[in-house]
Order: sequence, then structure tokens, then C-alpha cells
Amino acid sequence: MAEISLTLSELNGQVRDAIRDHLPDVCWVRAETSDVRRNRNGHCYLEFIEKDARGQNIVARARGVIWNNVFEMLSSYFETETGQQFASGLSVLVRVSVDFHELYGYSLSVVDIDPSYTIGEIARNRQLVLKQLEEEGVLTLNKELTFPELANRIAVISSPTAAGYEDFCDQLTKNPYGFVFYTKLFPAIMQGERSESSVISALEKIYGYKEHFDAVAIIRGGGSSSDLSCFDSYLLATNCAQFPLPVISGIGHERDVTVVDMVAHTRAKTPTAVAEFLISHASQTAADLMDLQQRLVEESELILQTAQNQLNELSRRMIHSSNIFIREELSGIQQLSVILKHQANRLLQVESHFVSEKSQYIRMVSPENILKRGYTLTLKNGKIIKSAKELLEDDVIETLFTDGSTLSEVKKINRKTGI
Amino acid sequence: MKALTYSQAKQELEKIVSAIESGELDVDALTEKVKRASELIAFCKEKLTKTDEELQRILENLS
Repeated sequence: MAEISLTLSELNGQVRDAIRDHLPDVCWVRAETSDVRRNRNGHCYLEFIEKDARGQNIVARARGVIWNNVFEMLSSYFETETGQQFASGLSVLVRVSVDFHELYGYSLSVVDIDPSYTIGEIARNRQLVLKQLEEEGVLTLNKELTFPELANRIAVISSPTAAGYEDFCDQLTKNPYGFVFYTKLFPAIMQGERSESSVISALEKIYGYKEHFDAVAIIRGGGSSSDLSCFDSYLLATNCAQFPLPVISGIGHERDVTVVDMVAHTRAKTPTAVAEFLISHASQTAADLMDLQQRLVEESELILQTAQNQLNELSRRMIHSSNIFIREELSGIQQLSVILKHQANRLLQVESHFVSEKSQYIRMVSPENILKRGYTLTLKNGKIIKSAKELLEDDVIETLFTDGSTLSEVKKINRKTGI
Repeated sequence: MKALTYSQAKQELEKIVSAIESGELDVDALTEKVKRASELIAFCKEKLTKTDEELQRILENLS
């Protein structure tokens, strides 16, 4: 062992010098933030990590620090640009100086940050998660659910103390149409590292009662910048996508659309907007119902009116045809009576003509008339004598004239021969 | 009627209205159908606007 030995501080000093001499003063480094915390002095301590391609195992790690004065400046810049709080779980591109301290060891102190890298990484991560969901065929499952016509039993996932939750309930209760809504809070942590598992376990609870609800609202109070990473998580997104009830998201951020927003049945920007959506949906449902009611009334009235018209028409036809019938009968009778009168007259005329003819004839052949014309009637003993054979000579006969009679004695009888 | 869901009630209502609109019903059948439809409308309206105390209690007691 001829080699010289060093004290630890001497060795650490040499490492420090080697780092100082062989590395640039500052360099840009890509890493993921972890365990981000700020101490009382405002300095921010964190860990930078790098995971393998599958995102499973950490393959590199370094302690990091952002001094208070730098942090104030960088964090607000970062939040303005990305809409994200500077927090754990972010992919960042930071400019760091590599420090090595004999006592505290290796650490990176941040002097600058490039928010556009994080924006890109968030977007890239979203794309990856969306692609995975799509490949698994679950991406649009929640959207494909039929939103129930009557959706007034709402399971709410929110922080119980969030102003957004209160706004949501207020908005629903005070809806101007008097629709009734039932909300049931399933409390969850909506911010930070524990939010993913907390929201998932709230979803699992609701799953157990799924027949009691029409929809799930995931809501969170707004704020210009906040930690949205949990709403980009694959695990939460796949849970939402496959949830058997329609999920409405109201995560309260203006400019970002998270993966949860994209798989949710309906995305609203704020909790209030979720409430508005539910109210307008109920209005639509009520309007549909009113429409049906109106159609029912109109159509029924139409049918009754048609039936009434048919009755009127029938009764009109009945009166009309009865009138025609009666008129026809009357005229038939009248005609008969005319014929009867005519025929009777004719018959009477014929008869009276016949009678007058006969009476004239009778008058002509009456004995008085014959006597008047110069004929006489001969009687013997009151009996009419029609033949000379009935008389003998010396018989007394009476001769009747029209204006008297004479008695005579028969003197001689000349008989005609051959009679 | 109690066991009916809103959707079921609405579907039945739609069927009745379509039947009436198709003009297949006579006046006797109409009276019966309109009576049923009125009941269904009332039921749906109640579901939309009247608080069901029992349902509220059930939801409150979920843990």
C-alpha cells in the first residue's frame, strides 16, 4: 500500500475541484421534478430524477435547490407560461450550476427554467396517455354513454371545502325553473400527489352505488395556475373513461384541456359551468316533455274535432236524405191523387153519357111516347091484345089513346094468312 | 306508476302520442290513452320538480 491516503475532506475537495474545472459553469438539463418543497426562508428544495423509457424505474437522481430570490422570479414566470404550479412530477428543462460541497455533496442549483419545454412535455404526455387509451379501446367509452334524460342525481367528487363545490350546489339549488337536484359529495383531494389515488377511490365508492346516480361531476375550484398533473394521469383517465355513469368534468382551468376532460362525457370549464350544463339539460328534458304534452293535446283535439265533423256530416246527410225521401213520397202520392181524380172523372163521364143515352132511348120507347106518335093500345077485359086471334066478332074492346080511351064492338075479323 | 323510471314513462308517452298522431285510434280508445298519457306527464313533471324525500334520505345515508 505505497499510495498516499487522503482525508475525506481532501478527497471531497478534489472532487469539487474536478467538477469545477471540467464542467461548464452552467448547463441546461432535462429532468423530472420530485419531492418539491419550500422551506421557511423561501428556498425551494427538490429532487431531479430521470426514469427509464417505460417510466417505471428511476435511472438517475440529483438533489436540487432554487434559492429564494431566484424561485420568486422563476416560479411566477413558469406559472404564467404553463398555467401550472411549479410542483413535483413535472418534466422541466432547467439551467443549473453543478455544485459539489464537501459536507453537503452533489447538488444542482437552478438559475433558469424554460417553461416551453414543460408545456411540450405535458402535451406530449397527454398525447401518449390518449394514444394508450385509444389503443386499449377505452378512450371514448364514457362519451358513448347515453346521458339520461332525467339527470338529477349527481355524485360529486370535490374537496369538501372548495369554493367551487359550494358554487356548484348553490347554482343547482337556485335554478330558476324549480328543477330538483340531488347531490351527494364524495370527498377527494384534488391537488398534489395524492389526488390521483384519492379521486380514483372516490370513483370506486360511487361505483358501489352506481344505480343511485345519473352522473358523476368531478369539480375543482379554479385559479389561474394549479397542479393539473393528476388529471393527465393514465390511471385516473382510464377509470373515468370506463366508468359506467357519464362523467362531467369541471376542473376549473381555462386554457388547458386535460386527459380527464377529454375522456369525460362532457367537459365544462368550471363547477358553475357543470351546474349550468345540468340545468340546461333538465330544461331540454322539460321542453321535450312539454312538446309531447302539446302534441298530445293538439292531436287529441284534432281526433275529437274530426269525429265531431263526421257526426255533423252524418247528421246533415241523414236530414238531407230524409227530406228527399219525404219529398219524393209526397210527390208520388200527389201524382197518384191527380191520376185518381182524372180517371174517376173520366169514368163518371163515360157512365153518365151511357146513362143519358139509355134514358133517352127508354124515353123514346115508353108507351106514352108511342101513343103520342099515333099508335094505340087495345085491351079486352083490361088485358093487352097483341093478336087478332085473341078477338071474336062482337067482342067489346077498349082502345087507349094518349089523351083518352074508347069502347068499341068488333064487327069483322080479317086474319092475315101464313102468320 | 311508482316503479316506473323517467325514461320508461317518457317512452310510453312517446308511443301513445305517435299512436294518436298516426290516426289509428277511435274515440273510445283515445279517451283511455289520453288518460294514461296525462298520468305519465304528471309523473314526469313530478320527477323533474318535486323533491323525493325518500330518495334524498337514501343518498344522505350513503357513506
